[in-house]
Amino acid sequence: MSWNRVAVVGAGLVKFGELFDQSYEQMAAGAFRAAAGHVDKGFDPREVDAVVVATQRGTLWGQEGIGGNTVPSALGISGVACTRVENACPSGSDAFRVGAMMVASGVHQVVLVIGVEKMRDKSSQEGLLSRAASGHPVYNRGETAPVLFAPFATRHMHDFGTTPEMLAAVAVKNHHNGCLDPYAHFRYEVTVDQVLSSPPVCHPLRLLDCCPQTDGAAAVILTSAEDAGRYTDKPVLVAGFGVATDHPYLHEKSTFLALPATVEAARRAYAMAGLGPEDMDMAEVHDCFTITEILDIEDLGFVDKGKGGPATLDGTTSLGGRIPVNPSGGLLAKGHPIGATGVAQLVECTWQLREEGGERQVAIRNGNALQHNVGGRGSGVSVVNILTRNR
Amino acid sequence: METEPRVTLPVGILGVGVAVPSLRIDAAEIARAWSASARGSLAVPDADEDTLTLAWAASLMALDAAGVRPDQLDGLFWGTTRPPLAEGPSHVFLATALGIDRRAGGHLSSGSTHSGMDALVSAWDALGAGHVRTALVVASDALVPGPGSAVETTTGAGAAAYVLGPVAGAPGMLAYRTTDSLPVVDRYRGDGAFATSDTYDGRLFRDKVFMPLVSRVAAELCRAPGADGGTGPHDWSIADPDGRLAPALARSIGANLISAEVTGSLGDTGAPAAFLGAMTAMTAPGSFAMVAYGGGRATAVLAGSTREVPGARGALALLGAPAHTASYPQLLRSRAQLVSSGDPVPMGVPPGSAAFVRGNLEMLCLRGARCEDCGYISTPPSIHPSCAGCGGDRMTIVDLARAGTVETFVVNETMPPPFTAPLPLAVIDLDDGARVMLQGVSEDAPDLAIGDRVQLVLRRYGVERGIPVYGYKAARPPHQAGVAPSPHQTDAARPPHQAGVAPSPHQTDAARPPHQAGVAPSLRQARNRGGSR
Repeated sequence: MSWNRVAVVGAGLVKFGELFDQSYEQMAAGAFRAAAGHVDKGFDPREVDAVVVATQRGTLWGQEGIGGNTVPSALGISGVACTRVENACPSGSDAFRVGAMMVASGVHQVVLVIGVEKMRDKSSQEGLLSRAASGHPVYNRGETAPVLFAPFATRHMHDFGTTPEMLAAVAVKNHHNGCLDPYAHFRYEVTVDQVLSSPPVCHPLRLLDCCPQTDGAAAVILTSAEDAGRYTDKPVLVAGFGVATDHPYLHEKSTFLALPATVEAARRAYAMAGLGPEDMDMAEVHDCFTITEILDIEDLGFVDKGKGGPATLDGTTSLGGRIPVNPSGGLLAKGHPIGATGVAQLVECTWQLREEGGERQVAIRNGNALQHNVGGRGSGVSVVNILTRNR
Repeated sequence: METEPRVTLPVGILGVGVAVPSLRIDAAEIARAWSASARGSLAVPDADEDTLTLAWAASLMALDAAGVRPDQLDGLFWGTTRPPLAEGPSHVFLATALGIDRRAGGHLSSGSTHSGMDALVSAWDALGAGHVRTALVVASDALVPGPGSAVETTTGAGAAAYVLGPVAGAPGMLAYRTTDSLPVVDRYRGDGAFATSDTYDGRLFRDKVFMPLVSRVAAELCRAPGADGGTGPHDWSIADPDGRLAPALARSIGANLISAEVTGSLGDTGAPAAFLGAMTAMTAPGSFAMVAYGGGRATAVLAGSTREVPGARGALALLGAPAHTASYPQLLRSRAQLVSSGDPVPMGVPPGSAAFVRGNLEMLCLRGARCEDCGYISTPPSIHPSCAGCGGDRMTIVDLARAGTVETFVVNETMPPPFTAPLPLAVIDLDDGARVMLQGVSEDAPDLAIGDRVQLVLRRYGVERGIPVYGYKAARPPHQAGVAPSPHQTDAARPPHQAGVAPSPHQTDAARPPHQAGVAPSLRQARNRGGSR
């Protein structure tokens, strides 16, 4: 039996991209207005009684002191309760989980979960590449973001025979989906050959194996399941969620063939929802790199361990496949504004379950969707949220 | 003025070692950029090599050859023209990385290419005075000549190390020395200057400085007690600032020059030059002379061996081993003479911070925290108050094994300055069961593979705010002759698995942390690691 105590009654986002002409605050306001405008029966912003802000790295846009408290003012609802959640790449999906628990506790009635990230106010060098010099003073020197996942690709290819073409198939699929998503950062097709001939970034990953650095914001409005009817006749319910951590550093990983945090977070979420991978109609998963999606679909139970590459090649995860994965274009094409990413995935799941997916709408048979992030020095924490339209 | 030879107490040479940087360049390649000509080959450092990393490698080779553990040394005597820090803990960094007892002491000589000889003399006198019983002498240089200068086409790099001790029973011996000086300015680097300059006129230097000065110390050495009846030894290794001076001198004093081959292939290595050139003499019994020059001083040493000195043959092999060829831009970049106009990425944890004080020590010592309960070794200790294997908190600090196998790796191709691509990074299962992730060396980037055997070698990770940052990198042999022994430990004191006898309990698949069992993941394994529930 699913948890189903909390409902998403509105979900929206701004178009992702290099939003040089928008401030952090403007993106936040845009996402909030989109979510409020999505509420079928109308929504007064003053109904929000608590805000949960997901922003992973204030340092990327120069406000090292960010605490989330700047957001209500930007949204025109200054005075409301507000808390920032930072939990690496799953910040947005964890903020959603925290918001759902705030509603379920009965302390708050209407909670806005909003993810906002400014990635491109600083250059790549000042931004994510600078992590090459973070961590232990000497150990871990040189660990840029792709270094956190490429070792898994090396090992997966070695042990399971996963090929560069299989990795490329993830990018090809997600770029295709992104073409159908008006909110995606990249809206162009790529071919396997283009992926395989793109510049090497971090062997065995190439440029088109990697997600871009993207600005963006996304928001969902949560109420109790009982109150949802005041806002919509098509509420999407929180069926379950799970969070799990793993040792953060690469040399502490128990395996380079899976992300144990994902495996455990999924186990907990499925148990809470009373559902399994076979019950999902679609999934939005963390594809920061092509190899990550291959690991994800194995670790989430959609395909057998080691079969993620062939399953991607044969269309199992395409829009019309057995389990469509990342219909929004995923991080690879839609973009990865870290704090906003998880919330935007939940927006996509909500829209898909409400069959509002437009050209990229997948077949809804069971009424359930799964959302997943993994991050934190790569894979130190994972969050899985499961949504359902079944009461 | 002639003087009576002074009495010098002889000391024994117990073992020798050398190190050569990983790159070579033809002097002509450099000269071409400046529309000039030059001859010979030069040994030059990669971006992550410097005088300290070379000194480290040569020292380990000498200690290994001599059968002396770092913790048995009473002192480290290091001579290098240009220490990594003009002021600062250069000597301590090297001693720490070598695993020498922190109370051992010693001496850092610098300021000219005579510094290697100064270090040898300091150790010799300390042994003679009885204050030191076993000393490590290492001479190293990786100088930075000014682009376009004449000295640029002769400057090589390298290191030579001697383990010195009591003369009784020693295979080699330092018997006597003479020294002389002249107040001239030849090669110099002013305070604040980055590159070495060279002011002398070639013939002026030869006729009025080098030849007279070096001839005098050589002649005096030939009158030494027991120096082959006043004729001196037959074989001479002579430091050669420009590649032509040593042969000229050898001709003038009727000596057999044994150092020409090393000079021709490595260039003028500076501080270690006289010692590197003499390695060939120590492969067989006999006497020989070593002559160092630099900074207006010359010193000649009469030495000999009663049998092959341990390490000498390996040293010769290493000096003649093939190496990768560098381009001139690569060399300039390695020496920080060709720099990106962009701001370098600062270290998240800069030298001088508290975290660096903790981190640098455990990196130079290469330490792990071994769990008393499950045997898992967590690295590095400062970020592991709890065992990464079982969650326990009873930990013992241990020295990590210095060799292992590549579990997985990447080659980073997009690196912001000051990093240089391609940069391999590898997860390595060390032979003691510990797992580390470290940078690899650029030479391995093209064909590194899972399962490759690697050794951990000391390299310079970068220079941060003028401070060199050292750490270990994984390199496939044979990049360096020396593989660090676990310092401070004898086999008897080591846990069994580190002595290489019995496998440790966690080396069996059943009890081992799951990554060491090497199979697909499961929740059971995740729980076994104690972290997720």
